[in-house]
Amino acid sequence: MSYYQDGLMDIFAGLYILGFGLGIFMQILWDFSFGVIMPAILITTALPIWVAAKRKITMPRIGFVNFGTRGANKLTVVFIGTMVAGLFAFFAFIFATSQSGLRQWLDLIVQNGMLIVALGSLAICALFGYTMGLRRLYAYGLLAGISLVIGHFAGIFFAYIIFALGTIVMVTGIVLLINFVRKFPLKGDKAIVK
Amino acid sequence: MAQLYVVQSADFLFIQNQTQMTPGNLSSHLSKLEDGGYVEVTKEFLDRKPHTALALTKKGRVAFKEYRKKVKQFVEKLPE
Repeated sequence: MSYYQDGLMDIFAGLYILGFGLGIFMQILWDFSFGVIMPAILITTALPIWVAAKRKITMPRIGFVNFGTRGANKLTVVFIGTMVAGLFAFFAFIFATSQSGLRQWLDLIVQNGMLIVALGSLAICALFGYTMGLRRLYAYGLLAGISLVIGHFAGIFFAYIIFALGTIVMVTGIVLLINFVRKFPLKGDKAIVK
Repeated sequence: MAQLYVVQSADFLFIQNQTQMTPGNLSSHLSKLEDGGYVEVTKEFLDRKPHTALALTKKGRVAFKEYRKKVKQFVEKLPE
């Protein structure tokens, strides 16, 4: 039994990806950096809803368990490691593109942006899939990788692929949530321990 | 006890789902383990609903570790 089988993580991840795609569209329409702001808005609004949903939907059905600190530490290390690697890549990118004569690097990255995002998605999904023991994250990583590579070579607009990926992840989450609610109907605390 | 051994604490519902026992049956087992000092049972109210938290005591953890060692030794001694 896993705490991730309720599909809530997928629903919120799907919404987050959709919000990112929407941000890109809004950026094109209104020429404002919504692509950067949208994920931030979504994180601040979705996080309390996610916590509340866990308390109202998941815990009353499968109960609560405190695994201690071992598993949490492992996940925290992976999460912080990913963030540090992301920041390092970002600053390396800024440094490389700000140096004279390295303009071609910027062009190369912009031209192959979808391939870079595809590789990043594969790596992040594989890393978190392994750490959390969630096989469907491998499938998401593969799906993102393949669709972005196809999108790169077929010339499909990035936001369309992001929308499709977000929708697939969110729908998977909804299906998982429906199955979870059916599999674990609400039970009261029937403990009669004296 | 094996379920509680691998976690810090869990509630009644979680253990019931894991063991697939009926509430009455599980309560009976827990009462005996509590009387023996192996399991600590904490009854509280969460959002005005009764909630039963369970955790292995130090004595319970040591006893289970010993039991596990003995079972392992016993299984290893079995002929092929």
